[in-house]
Amino acid sequence: MPSSSLVSQGFLKLAEASSIGLGLPSMPVALVPGHPGAQSAEMLRRNILAVTAAEVIKNLTDASGTGQHTAEPLAQDVVFKGGFDAVHQYFLENEWSDGLPIVPPTRAKVDEFLQYTDRAASDVLGVLLPDNRAATIWSIAVNGVMAGCRPEYMPILVALVQAMADPAYGVEHSGNTPGGETLIILNGPIVQQLGFNFKENVLRDGFQPNTSVGRFWRLYLRNVAGFLLHKNDKATFGNTWRVVAAENEEVLKAIGWSPTSVEMGFNASDNTVTIARYTGGNVIASVSGSTPEEIMPILADAIARQNSWQITFTVGGAYGTLRPLVLLSPILAEAIASSGWTKQDVKEYLFEHARIPAWKFEHMLRVWADKPIWNLTEEYEAGRIPKVFCESDDPNRLVPLITCADDFMVAVTGDPLRTNAYVFAHNGRLGYPVGKLIELPANWRF
Amino acid sequence: MTMQPNDGYYEVLWPRSPMQVQGKSLAKRLDTLAGKTIVQLWDYVFKGDQVFAALEDSLKEKYPGVNFVHWSVMGNTHGPDERQILADLPKRLKELKADAVISGMGC
Repeated sequence: MPSSSLVSQGFLKLAEASSIGLGLPSMPVALVPGHPGAQSAEMLRRNILAVTAAEVIKNLTDASGTGQHTAEPLAQDVVFKGGFDAVHQYFLENEWSDGLPIVPPTRAKVDEFLQYTDRAASDVLGVLLPDNRAATIWSIAVNGVMAGCRPEYMPILVALVQAMADPAYGVEHSGNTPGGETLIILNGPIVQQLGFNFKENVLRDGFQPNTSVGRFWRLYLRNVAGFLLHKNDKATFGNTWRVVAAENEEVLKAIGWSPTSVEMGFNASDNTVTIARYTGGNVIASVSGSTPEEIMPILADAIARQNSWQITFTVGGAYGTLRPLVLLSPILAEAIASSGWTKQDVKEYLFEHARIPAWKFEHMLRVWADKPIWNLTEEYEAGRIPKVFCESDDPNRLVPLITCADDFMVAVTGDPLRTNAYVFAHNGRLGYPVGKLIELPANWRF
Repeated sequence: MTMQPNDGYYEVLWPRSPMQVQGKSLAKRLDTLAGKTIVQLWDYVFKGDQVFAALEDSLKEKYPGVNFVHWSVMGNTHGPDERQILADLPKRLKELKADAVISGMGC
């Protein structure tokens, strides 16, 4: 059917790149000059009448073309032969690298990685948008080599790509303008078996397992999903990949709290990855107190400050898909648990106390985030949000940031003996939390 | 004395993976928009409501009898139900006897 896609000026390259993955390299687009968000109603109407309307007419009556892909190598082809510097340069020129030197992915190296999975190299775990490429075991091994991973990390890499391919995660949104970045939470005996850092500097690069697996994630998004900077990746700012955050399961066990893996539906002894995209985060330094009553108000206040436009994933742009994450250092978790509080108690407290006035909640979405078509009362009366958002018509009533306590995620990691916490602002359904079991090969020896 | 290069030699593999989509041809375009039914698809962001209103005014002036199916009939193409809305699209377009689609906003 004839179609015309309305695309603003800064997104024309994105439209061109995305259309290749859709099999329609000549997909007709109509230019919307500038960006609508920065135009008055009069200016926008003038631009639409002067520019966009004519392009829509041309798109619907006069466009033609056939999608033809550029010839590409076969899955296991050798694409270059040469020295280290030349390999690096070749990968940069083909947009297959993140800018740092890569470990050259030779057949011998890839075969080492394939020894750590019982799956066939040709197995397909899913098809990833926007490029519509097959997520194969083979391509996982190649990118794992490039990222500087060790071969024994392969089971983790496979689980990560299974998570990436899960529709609930929404990998296709990974190039959206807020530029959220995925955080990988690792659980299970594999944390210590493979030497992942879960203490001081847990979010800092410098530990080979944490760093190289994080880099793998971003390389795989680039090379297989197809998120290329200035093309399919439209992060206005963006940030570098996050290193893997392994949980401190010794402390969790000691205080009787479940690890993240259990909250994602697995057993406490399972090796798992949990992924979600976060638009940003902030440290809460020097949280003072020896009881939950002293500690929790500080955390609740920080969470309310850290989440603003993201509440569109609670009401409006999506419903009930906002999952803020709190990292507690072990000493803070121990202090809270010493009064008998469970992790569920923490979540319930945050749900009750990390709140903002209803007028502000509505204002942030309806006015600041350009969602002109709703208010909390209408949403409640339509049955789309719970009554807690509409207990009265007082605009100063306090409403939660999320729809239920269980939507908070709490992990324990970082410096065991420092009283800091970290709050991540979540990107909602555009990077929803997904957990996967790490399948170890029969010959696992660690 | 000249130094021997110490850069190694590598035969390296392709880091990508085969695309799973075949190239498609564009649908035949319309001779005229006059009397045709055009469906509006909106992702409910970036003033698409204003954009579609302006487009309607412009196209109705140029093409007598052109009809529009309002974006609100189709639902949010970037909301919580987007997968289902997009999956149902071919059926819905057929039911609506649509001749063409305008989709926005790519911003």
